[in-house]
Amino acid sequence: MRRLRLFPKGYGFTVLGIAVGMAGLVALGAMGERISRFIEGGDRFVLGQISVAGEGMGMGAGFTAGGLLPAARIAEIARVPGVAVVQPQVMLPISTSTSHFLTVTQELVMGVDPAAPPANRHYRALALRSGRALAAGDRRVAVVGSDFAASRKLAVGAALPIGGLEFTVVGILDKTLTAPDRFAMLPLEDARDLWLRRDPLLFRVFGSGGLARTDLNSGAAVGWQEGVDPDELARRIQGTVPGVNVTIPGELSRLLRTSTAFFSALLVGIGALGLVIGGLSLANTVTAAVFERIRDFGVKRALGATDAQLLREVLGEALGVSLWGVGLGVLLALAIGTAVDWRTLREGQQLFYFSPRLLTFAFVFAVLLGGLAAAYATLRIARLSPAEAIRRGA
Amino acid sequence: MVIRATGLTKVYQGVDGAPPVRVLDGVDLEARPGQVVAVIGESGSGKSTLLNLLGLLEPADAGEIWFDGERVSHLGRSAQCRVRGTRIGYVFQAFLLIGSLTALDNVLLAARYVGRDRGEAEREALALMERMGVAHRRGHYPAQLSGGEQQRVAFCRAVLNAPPLVLADEPTGNVDDVHARVILAELRAQARERGAVVILVTHRAEAAAEADASLRLSAGRLVP
Repeated sequence: MRRLRLFPKGYGFTVLGIAVGMAGLVALGAMGERISRFIEGGDRFVLGQISVAGEGMGMGAGFTAGGLLPAARIAEIARVPGVAVVQPQVMLPISTSTSHFLTVTQELVMGVDPAAPPANRHYRALALRSGRALAAGDRRVAVVGSDFAASRKLAVGAALPIGGLEFTVVGILDKTLTAPDRFAMLPLEDARDLWLRRDPLLFRVFGSGGLARTDLNSGAAVGWQEGVDPDELARRIQGTVPGVNVTIPGELSRLLRTSTAFFSALLVGIGALGLVIGGLSLANTVTAAVFERIRDFGVKRALGATDAQLLREVLGEALGVSLWGVGLGVLLALAIGTAVDWRTLREGQQLFYFSPRLLTFAFVFAVLLGGLAAAYATLRIARLSPAEAIRRGA
Repeated sequence: MVIRATGLTKVYQGVDGAPPVRVLDGVDLEARPGQVVAVIGESGSGKSTLLNLLGLLEPADAGEIWFDGERVSHLGRSAQCRVRGTRIGYVFQAFLLIGSLTALDNVLLAARYVGRDRGEAEREALALMERMGVAHRRGHYPAQLSGGEQQRVAFCRAVLNAPPLVLADEPTGNVDDVHARVILAELRAQARERGAVVILVTHRAEAAAEADASLRLSAGRLVP
């Protein structure tokens, strides 16, 4: 333990070499974690609710992209056996003019009724970083995602113009690393107002009395009772309620994973690259550090050190050196990641996520690989006679 | 401890097609407790190789080495490690101190691998270093010591465990005359006071003259 507390004397460059390699592994791993959390978050979301839209095409976005979903249809859905809750929603793109080709997530307006019970069983309530959630009776207020707020430099109390309407930010969500980070959540009635302003055809139909306000839904989120299979319920809704477009959670999950296959492959590539860079750097540095001391090993063997005693010494030193190296490497990666994210968050993007599992893996990986490399080098040297080891190290 | 070696032979294989080099060729040796044996000869005659074999630092290609009737040359690796740690002390020409350890820790290295109690070993080490005039340098690293001081520290390391056999390969080769006399005197004291066998490779005429016996090597063989 004494060796671990003190910085290993004479191993400065070794520690630095390990730190650089591990910084690469941890930084690449953090980028991979960022992508992974995004995909996992989306998957949890789609598996937490049945998303329903009206048949056909409309301005709806996100998982409720489709035609209008009138109140009557929502009521029919609520009567299907197994349905626990139906939450009407309006989801619209923030900008209708910007192309979102290859955009990982759109900035979306999400209109919800705060008085209605939440439908998504994996996201019953989103954690807040500051301010408060939407409350019943709220009008012209907004709760925004963390990246949405960062890109516009919004704080609680700030003014937020959307589609010609003025809102006041009352809450900012905690980071989720997935879609809600780029949402602006509005009271349902405000979202409906926004929709009418944006869609001239809808406005004419609504103005002619062909629609009630309660019909202005781009979709709904459906929650199921305990013990009910969500995919079966989704098919039951599709078969029972006419004029609706029902997403089957399991199928949507598979579709999501297929559509993000590129990112999954990128993840594997990033992970492999990180392991190769970090692992080779660590193993090479530790092995070289041991071979550099071949003369010292010869002297210790001359003094009576057995292979086991030498190995124990080397492994102890390798543990200390690896821990220091990975510790410094993690700090270096954190510094780089924080600096880059500080810049990219201005555009509402975060590239790195230093998760506890990543940091734990980095430490365990460094210690194990460092130990293996040190053991390999030591056993190679141990095959030499003490005199040969001393001669080679001269 | 009686040291006996018979027919010691060492051949180094040639590289890149060069013929093998027979560095030692059938050397016999016997030394008794309290004896100082000087090994002399021209460069390349096999003196250091003879000490390496006697010190079990490398294996002989032929021959046997006996310590008090025990054939140590044919022991297993671990057993030879124990013999090296408890029965042999080695003073190298190039000192061979560990650069990352202080002078005291270098001396105590001898005790580490034979499982001695650290407190007791430290007391003995400091007493030895006091006798050799380097106790005041115990906290310094080898790079901070002069050649003479390093060799005195190396000597302390070699004799810390009171080994019955002390091998010294040109111990005065890299030190000045003052330090050389100190080292040689202490080697003789090991033999006289403790009854150790001291086998000493030397180019110094006075060291050879003061030895109890001399062995002259030439081209790997003993010559009269």
